[in-house]
Amino acid sequence: MSQNSARAPSARTEVLGDGSTLVVVAGDWTIHDSLPTIAFKGDKVKLRADDLGSFDSSLPAWIYVHFKNVRQCDLSALPPRLQALVEMAEKATLSAGPNAPTSVLENFGTWGIDSTHSWARAFDHIGQTAVGFARTCLGRARVNWSDFTLQLQTAGVDALPIVALLGFLTGLIMAYVGLIQLRQVGATVYVANLVSLAMTREMGALMTGVIACGRTSTSFASQLGSMNVSQETDALRSLGINPVEYLAVPRILAVTLMVPLLAIFATFVGIFGGMIVACAGDLSIEQYLTQAILAIKFKSFLVGFIKSIAFGFIAAWAGCYRGSVAQRSALGVGDAATSAAVLGITLIVIADALFAVIFNLYDF
Amino acid sequence: MTAVAPVLLCEDLVVGHAGHPVMSGVNIRLSAGKILAIVGPSGCGKSTLMRVIGGLDEPMAGRSALLGTDLTTATALEREKVLRRSGFLFQGSALFSSLTLRENVELPMREFLPLPPHEVAQLAEYKLALVGLADAMDKLPSEISGGMAKRAGIARALALDPSVMFLDEPSAGLDPVTSGKLDELVLKIKESFGTTIILVSHEVPSILRIADFCVYLDSDTGTMGAYAPPKDFLSPTAYAKAHAFFTLARIS
Ligand SMILES: Nc1ncnc2c1ncn2[C@@H]1O[C@H](COP(=O)(O)OP(=O)(O)O)[C@@H](O)[C@H]1O
Ligand SMILES: [Mg+2]
Repeated sequence: MSQNSARAPSARTEVLGDGSTLVVVAGDWTIHDSLPTIAFKGDKVKLRADDLGSFDSSLPAWIYVHFKNVRQCDLSALPPRLQALVEMAEKATLSAGPNAPTSVLENFGTWGIDSTHSWARAFDHIGQTAVGFARTCLGRARVNWSDFTLQLQTAGVDALPIVALLGFLTGLIMAYVGLIQLRQVGATVYVANLVSLAMTREMGALMTGVIACGRTSTSFASQLGSMNVSQETDALRSLGINPVEYLAVPRILAVTLMVPLLAIFATFVGIFGGMIVACAGDLSIEQYLTQAILAIKFKSFLVGFIKSIAFGFIAAWAGCYRGSVAQRSALGVGDAATSAAVLGITLIVIADALFAVIFNLYDF
Repeated sequence: MTAVAPVLLCEDLVVGHAGHPVMSGVNIRLSAGKILAIVGPSGCGKSTLMRVIGGLDEPMAGRSALLGTDLTTATALEREKVLRRSGFLFQGSALFSSLTLRENVELPMREFLPLPPHEVAQLAEYKLALVGLADAMDKLPSEISGGMAKRAGIARALALDPSVMFLDEPSAGLDPVTSGKLDELVLKIKESFGTTIILVSHEVPSILRIADFCVYLDSDTGTMGAYAPPKDFLSPTAYAKAHAFFTLARIS
C-alpha cells in the first residue's frame, strides 16, 4: 500500500459483545496534526490498527495518555513497533510510583500546613540567628569575617550615593508640601521644624531601611539562595560549619551597623534638601538652621537611631532568611529575592508602627 | 554489642523527602576501614540515603549511627562534631563558587586547625596534588571541568583527614584513565589513613576492585534489596536484581 498524500489521523470506538471496547486507529499520525478525541467506558480495551499509514511519537503518546489507567489494555493487534513504543512508556512509569490527584480540599489543607510551616521556619531561623549572635559574642561561633568587611563596603559605603539622593529629595518634598500649608497661616519659619523633626524621627530611618531592603535584602537572598542551589550550604554543614553563623551572622551584623550610620547621613542630607526649598524664597539660611537646631531634641535623634538599628537588622535578616529557604532552582532564587524585599519592607513598616505606639506610650 | 563499635549502623532506616518515603528497610553495619559501595538505578534514593547516613538530613524512621553517635537523638553540637570527622563529596561537587580550589580546600582547615596560613596552604597544596589538581589550584570552580570539580570536591572532603568519607558518584563523568586513578586514590586513602569510605557508584569493575561491601537499593520495591560483598552479586544465586545489575553493567 503506497500513499503519497497524508490522511487525517482518526480513531473510532466499538463496544464488543463481552462488554469491552474496541478502539481502531487509522490514517497518518504526526505531531503537527491535532489528534482525534474519543469517549469510552469500561476497564477493558482492545486496540487495533486498520489502514494505518505513517506515525511518529504522536500515536504512541495518544495511546499511552488515553489508556494508561485502563486495567486491561490489549495491544497485541497493533504493529509490533507501535506496541513496543507504548509498552516502553508504561514500564518506565510503573517504577516511578503513582501520582495521586489531589482534591481542592486537600490543596487547601496543604496550603494551610505550608503557611504555618513557613512561619515555623521563620521563627526557627530567628532562633538560630539569635543563638548564632550569642555564640559569636562568646567567641564560639565560626563567622566568615571577610564577608563582614565586604558587606560593610557593599551594603554600607556603596549605598551612600542612593541614600544621599533619596534623602535629599525626601527633605525637599516635605519642605515644599509644608510651605504650601504654612504660608496660609504665615508661619513659614516652622518649615524648618517640620523637615528636621520628620527626617530625624521618621524619614531618615525609614528611607534608609527601605533602600536596604531593595539593595541588600535582595542581594543576600540571591547570594544565599544560589548557594542553596549549588549545595554550597550543605557543603558547609558537611564540614561541621553552621551556615547561619558562617553566612548570616556577618551579613546581619554588617548591615545592622551600617544602616544607622546611613540613616544619620540621610537625615542631614534631608534637612539640607529642605533648606534649599525653604531658602529659595521664604527663609534665610540662618533662620532655617536656628529653627532646625531648636527643633531637634536629643530624644528625637535617639528615636531615629533606635529605629534604624531595628530596620537594618530586619532588612538583613529578611534577605538571609528568604535565601536560606529558597527552592533549588533558578526560579526559586528569583522568588527568594522578590519575597525578601517584600518581607523586609512589610516588617519595617509594621515595626515603625509599633515604634510609634511604644514611643507615644512612653511620651518619647 | 561487639567490642568495636561500627562506624556506620543503620537499623530499619527509612529515608525520603517531604513526608514521602523513598527507601525503607535499610540495615547496614559497617566496621572501620572498609569500603561500602551503594548501587541502584538512578532516582532510587542513593543520594537521599547518603545525606541521612552522613548526618545532613533527618531520617523518616529507624535509627542511624555514625562514628558511634546516634544521629537520630544527637544534639546539634554533637552532630557538628561528627560531621567534622567526616568528609562529604556531593553529586554536584558543591564547591564554593566564589573561592579558588585552593581556598575551597583551605576553608575547613582555616576554621578548625590551629595552624598559621602558610602551613594551611602547604596542606591544601598536598591534598590538591593527591587528586591531580596541582596545576589548577588557583582556578575558580567556574573555570574547570566537571571531572576536575569532582576531584577538587574530594580534596576538600579530605581536608581534615576524616575518619569516614561519603563520595556521591565520584567517578561519574570521568574518563576511564582518571577514574582508574581515582580508584587507586580511594584504596590508598583507605589503606594509609584507615578511612572508612562509603560511595555511590555505577561502575561495576571499579566496585569489584575496591569495595568490601555493597548495598543494592531496589527502586521497584523501595527497599534495600541486598547487602553483601560485591563478589557475591556475581553468582546467579544472589539477589536477582542486584545480580542482573552487576552482570549487565559488566558487559557494557
Ligand atoms: N529535594 C528533593 N525534594 C523532593 N524529592 C526529592 C528531592 N531530591 C530527590 N528527590 C526524589 O527522591 C528520589 C531519590 O532521589 P535521589 O536520592 O537523588 O536518587 P539517586 O541519587 O539514587 O539517583 C527521586 O525520586 C527524587 O525525585
Ligand atoms: Mg544521586
